[in-house]
Amino acid sequence: MRQNPSRRLASPPALGLEQPPMASDPSEIVGLLQRVALRDRAAFRLLYLRTSAKLFGVCLRILKDRAEAEEALQEVYVKVWQRADRYVASNFSPISWLVAVARNTCLDALRGRRPKGEDIDLALEVADDAPGPEQAAAAAGERARIETCLEKLEPDRAAAVRGAYLDGLSYEQLAERHNVPLNTIRTWLRRSLMKLRDCLSA
Amino acid sequence: MSTDDDRGEGIDEGRALVAEYALGLLDAAEHGPAARRIAADPVLAAELRLWRRRLAALDHQFAEEAAPAGMFARIERRLFGAPAPRGLSAVWGSLALWRAAAAGSLAVAAIAIGISLVEPRVDPADSAARLVAAIEALEGSGVSFVALYDPEKDMVRITAVSGAPMPQNDYELWAIEGNAAPVSMGVVSASARMEKKMPGDMQIGEGTVLAISIEPKGGSPTGAPTGPVVAMGKAIAI
Repeated sequence: MRQNPSRRLASPPALGLEQPPMASDPSEIVGLLQRVALRDRAAFRLLYLRTSAKLFGVCLRILKDRAEAEEALQEVYVKVWQRADRYVASNFSPISWLVAVARNTCLDALRGRRPKGEDIDLALEVADDAPGPEQAAAAAGERARIETCLEKLEPDRAAAVRGAYLDGLSYEQLAERHNVPLNTIRTWLRRSLMKLRDCLSA
Repeated sequence: MSTDDDRGEGIDEGRALVAEYALGLLDAAEHGPAARRIAADPVLAAELRLWRRRLAALDHQFAEEAAPAGMFARIERRLFGAPAPRGLSAVWGSLALWRAAAAGSLAVAAIAIGISLVEPRVDPADSAARLVAAIEALEGSGVSFVALYDPEKDMVRITAVSGAPMPQNDYELWAIEGNAAPVSMGVVSASARMEKKMPGDMQIGEGTVLAISIEPKGGSPTGAPTGPVVAMGKAIAI
């Protein structure tokens, strides 16, 4: 059913030359999410208008299938409506939260994960006490930081990290893509992730 | 869950698991247990926050793609059964609906606001106009308030029409202007009339939304609504 991993190479890893995440002002998105938590359907419509292109982009890139991406996008906004109150109690960047909800929803579909009851992934997503990278300068700094740290990894490992985050690649797909046995790829990627973590926390 | 013996030596199993969770690498069998383990362990939860903040810097690489037309209507159908009427004022501004709500013939909660318009843009001839807000009942809460604006004192008087006091929680009143975030007007009683000042330099006027949420005793600890919203109304002139 899924396209094979080699087809998925079609999304090239980009290096920070694109537009900022969304044209919308994060503080406007925060205000809309707060009103959505208050069950304001007009705010919900506006939030959809401001953010759906970004979140549809996330779903398309991860699911690689338009019909599945459309189904996932609906689930994303159903969750946003139902869980916006979970977000407003937190301090996290609103756009990052929305992208995280979209990624989680798509990965649930891709991996056959069946979240039941309270969605623990969403609970974990809002459990943040640090402000998100709201300021353009701070966001640019964060982008430079992860690019610098990824560059310190071997290129194929950096590509694997990007493939997992941006394309939702599984260990099986990464093993196939890099022509490495499954248990080997897990070991080498874990080592790379720990190296990346040390760089990212420095 | 596997241990680290087949994953290479010298790797902190917990940390590596959080990294895999953050990237979405875990399969269906491993994912749920990992989430529960992280939620239960403050060290691992902090580790996850680090990954999320850092990885979010890659989010700009998701290219935007316009969602197909009609998608929002499908979402509304899933959530509400029918798409919302275009423009809330069409419904909220309907005097007939408000009257029906006030008469209790619809399952709606109502906030009525009597107000002298003080905003300079208002024609003086309209200065005796009254504002009222009517909203749909929020999930059958059965909670409704009436708010009256006293221009002499510059206070909003608020009285519960229905809804029981809660031993463990408080009702909190919020004012919302345009796209701005809700601003607290403080805790309100379900059993006694209260007077509340508009927050800061906010002025109540046509279009101001008042909402009631359920909060911990003493009000929201965060300054933003944290509990379910049980009643909401938008001020309109009648």
